[in-house]
Amino acid sequence: MAGREFKLVFAGSMGAGKTTAIAAISEIPPIRTDVHNTDVRSHSKATTTTAMDYGEVTLDSGDKLRLYGTPGQTRFDFMWRILAKGAIGVVLLVDNSRPDPLSDVHAYLDAFRETVSSSRAVIGIGRTETHPEPGLDAYYALADEYGISVPIVSVDVRRREDVLLLLNVLFSQIEASLETEEQGAMA
Amino acid sequence: MTTVSDEATQTSADLCQACIAALIGSQAGITGALVSTVDGFAVAAQVRPPVSGDRLAAMTSSLVALVDAVSQDGGIGEGRDIVVDATAGRLLLMDVPQAGSKLILAVLCDPSATPGQVLWAARRCREHLSDRLPAPGVQELVHER
Repeated sequence: MAGREFKLVFAGSMGAGKTTAIAAISEIPPIRTDVHNTDVRSHSKATTTTAMDYGEVTLDSGDKLRLYGTPGQTRFDFMWRILAKGAIGVVLLVDNSRPDPLSDVHAYLDAFRETVSSSRAVIGIGRTETHPEPGLDAYYALADEYGISVPIVSVDVRRREDVLLLLNVLFSQIEASLETEEQGAMA
Repeated sequence: MTTVSDEATQTSADLCQACIAALIGSQAGITGALVSTVDGFAVAAQVRPPVSGDRLAAMTSSLVALVDAVSQDGGIGEGRDIVVDATAGRLLLMDVPQAGSKLILAVLCDPSATPGQVLWAARRCREHLSDRLPAPGVQELVHER
């Protein structure tokens, strides 16, 4: 089972930490496409990703993960669809300090519905220390509305161990999903 | 495009609009043109339906950023002009340098366009804009709509 390669996508709103998360764990210098952010009224960040981030990490199992980060803004939704092709799982990052983070999640659950609906996803909620509301229960309720069952965890994407934990959780989901698919095929 | 309320922005957006109108009128086969910010906002657009200026602005931003990343990763410096040679025409993308940043000029052509002449006209448009757009440019002001 060792030596497999998987494509994972990091999605979420602008400023949720996709670029930071990939940089925290990538074994190679991450490829970035961030440019000057002119829309400071929407977000105070100096730069923003306009195409994708890319990094790689090898798990203890020997599996190699190719990590793709999406631009956050909906005007780049064409990139979401491009990057979602062939992805085996999605890490959806949420910035809990945003005005309506639950609403943010809707767009990404819709865009990555195919992957998310087969439970090959994990939702990471950031900045919960300073912005504890909405709580995880609210996100689980939202997932219920969508009829999906995915892990939802608090995460600090600046911490490598947090991001790796997120990926371990996601991989448990993926393994379970693949086993379910195999059992379905054999039935 | 949405009306730009700020006078300085209006002047910059008008300048871009006039420049791309002149570009389109200067060469047969140019079907549309767009000036946008590096992060994907249209400053001025003249495109034919069903092409959307806002959508083209976002896509050109991604494309230019990717070409920059590939160029730097490939050790050939920063990306400059991009030509997309498609089955029913061409798309030309080029930087419009500004103090501390840049805008992007996109030109759409049908097969009747002569690539060299379009490139020459687009470069003149770029120089015209670079010389006349006020620093720090329209990037921030464009959001004061």
